Amino acid sequence: MKLVEAYKQVKLDITETLANRRTQKLRALVFGQNVKDGIIAKLFIISLLTVIGFLYVKPILYMISTSLKSVADMIDPIVGLIPRELYFNNYKDAWKGLSYPEAFLDTMTIALFGSIFQVFTCALTGYALARLKFPGKNLFFFLILVAFLIPPQLTLVPLYMIYSELGWINTPFVFLVPAIFGQGLRGALFIIIFRQFFISQPKALEEAAKIDGASVFRLFFRIMMPLAGGACLVVFLFSFVWYWNMSYEAALFLSKDFTPLSLRLSSLQMELMGNKAVSFSAGLGQDPISEGPKMAGAFLIIFPPLIIYLIAQRWFTEGIERTGLVE
Amino acid sequence: MIGKTSRRKQILMFRWKEYGLGYLFMLPWILGFIAFVAFPVGWSLWNSFNRVYITSEGFQYTWVGLGNFKRMLIENNAYPIILLTYLQEVLLIIPLILIFSFFVSLLLNEKFPGRGWMRALFFLPVIFATGQVIMELFVQGAGELPFVSQYNLDVILRQYFSAGTSDMLLGILSKAVIILWYSGVQILIFIAGFQTISKSVYEAVRVDGASPWESFWKITFPGMLPFMGLNAIYTIVDLFTFPFNPVMEIVRNNMFSPTTGYGYASAMAWLYFLIILVLLGITLWLTYRATKGRGDVR
Repeated sequence: MKLVEAYKQVKLDITETLANRRTQKLRALVFGQNVKDGIIAKLFIISLLTVIGFLYVKPILYMISTSLKSVADMIDPIVGLIPRELYFNNYKDAWKGLSYPEAFLDTMTIALFGSIFQVFTCALTGYALARLKFPGKNLFFFLILVAFLIPPQLTLVPLYMIYSELGWINTPFVFLVPAIFGQGLRGALFIIIFRQFFISQPKALEEAAKIDGASVFRLFFRIMMPLAGGACLVVFLFSFVWYWNMSYEAALFLSKDFTPLSLRLSSLQMELMGNKAVSFSAGLGQDPISEGPKMAGAFLIIFPPLIIYLIAQRWFTEGIERTGLVE
Repeated sequence: MIGKTSRRKQILMFRWKEYGLGYLFMLPWILGFIAFVAFPVGWSLWNSFNRVYITSEGFQYTWVGLGNFKRMLIENNAYPIILLTYLQEVLLIIPLILIFSFFVSLLLNEKFPGRGWMRALFFLPVIFATGQVIMELFVQGAGELPFVSQYNLDVILRQYFSAGTSDMLLGILSKAVIILWYSGVQILIFIAGFQTISKSVYEAVRVDGASPWESFWKITFPGMLPFMGLNAIYTIVDLFTFPFNPVMEIVRNNMFSPTTGYGYASAMAWLYFLIILVLLGITLWLTYRATKGRGDVR
């Protein structure tokens, strides 16, 4: 009798614990053991990020939607982000106003060649700082950091004087020559990235190559550079995008003949006004006639980097982690 | 005896050959640094103490000592006021960017489906933060946070703050989204920083009964302080070419102005640089103070 009762008790206990465990499992799934890995917490994180992300990219959505609106849609307060019909004439106007093909080539010249030169020189410098032995290395590294912290405003005036003496104003040389010598746009940052990358590589490979009698140059070009493919790509992508977007340095050194896209946007309005004699202003810089073409122009400017980003997105976001800039 | 000296010579030769290779690799950068950084900085300093004329024979200098600075600070004091206003803005923008990027990177560091896409999204503005495009978006009012006009924040701010302060706050709010666009790289640096704290530390404190809240403040936050400093410095450098930075344009305008010229413009740039130096110094000092006594100072 007692035995049966005890058996029943044990059985009850087991079912209870089992049930408990099941609810625990469910609880763990929903709320998470660690507060942070339950479904609710995840849903919360996702929804929070979606809201912030929407606010974050709203100006871009605004740009795209405005560029597709006709003047009638622009004035109509009922029409929100989605235009009533897609209106592509803005793009036609912007294409003409920016002289897109020509400006595209100008911008491409700077961005492409500037980036290639930067990758090469910064890799060379970064490698020397990471692996070669010579007196004054720390001083050079310090100077690179200093070069990173000096505002471009400080060197603008003398650089303008130098370039105008050399007759480089309004030519791509003003950006390409400094890039060859490792002083391109944010070159110091790229040198630091390469230095960190080469430091993190195992030394054994180099030693083996050295014992085999490879010269430093051979070692660098045949072994280290191919190894650094990832770092090269990251530096190239960043450099390309930053050259593409650069507008302040460009505004000083390039004002006519050779003009990148970023500068032409500001003159677009005047061009448009020249074409259309009728203009009325709705106040506060918002002018429904030129707003559409301007946004179309802005979109045309960001379009090439956007394509590159869509293709190389992974390398961009993993770039800094991969190259170990932070360590 | 002879053998010994020649041996020493050989070692010296060998060593200098190695050094020579190092300098050879550095050569492009060294030349570039001299031509495009050191020399311009020196020349700019020289310019700032001179009045520079352009004649048919080239540049003509007249030494004016601190005259350019005096003119800028005392006689025509528009520039210092602009600088101070911008500095105030910067002092607000830096924490704004740091807090935002820290918060977003904290969320992005969690595991959830679609994390890669979210990371890509928050990095997107870095790709096309072209000065002119951003200016256009700002002029059209696209950078405003939605709640500013919804809740009549301008009226509320004007009630509680002086006119100058509320103007500045509203100025920041009107371009808040665009300012936050400058946090893409910072978010990445923070995410990379989170990986440097080992998982076992979190497990250890959890076993010891620490709540997630405590483990955030006791482990994550102190561990991220060096990255806060790094990001603050990056933000300051990034703001040099910020589209709303007035300095670049003022320097440019004064370069070509007949009444001021290269010397005056250089002096303006130097004043800006001095302020930036102070700001950088304070940031470095704070980072150093905050991480002092801990092993893993960068």
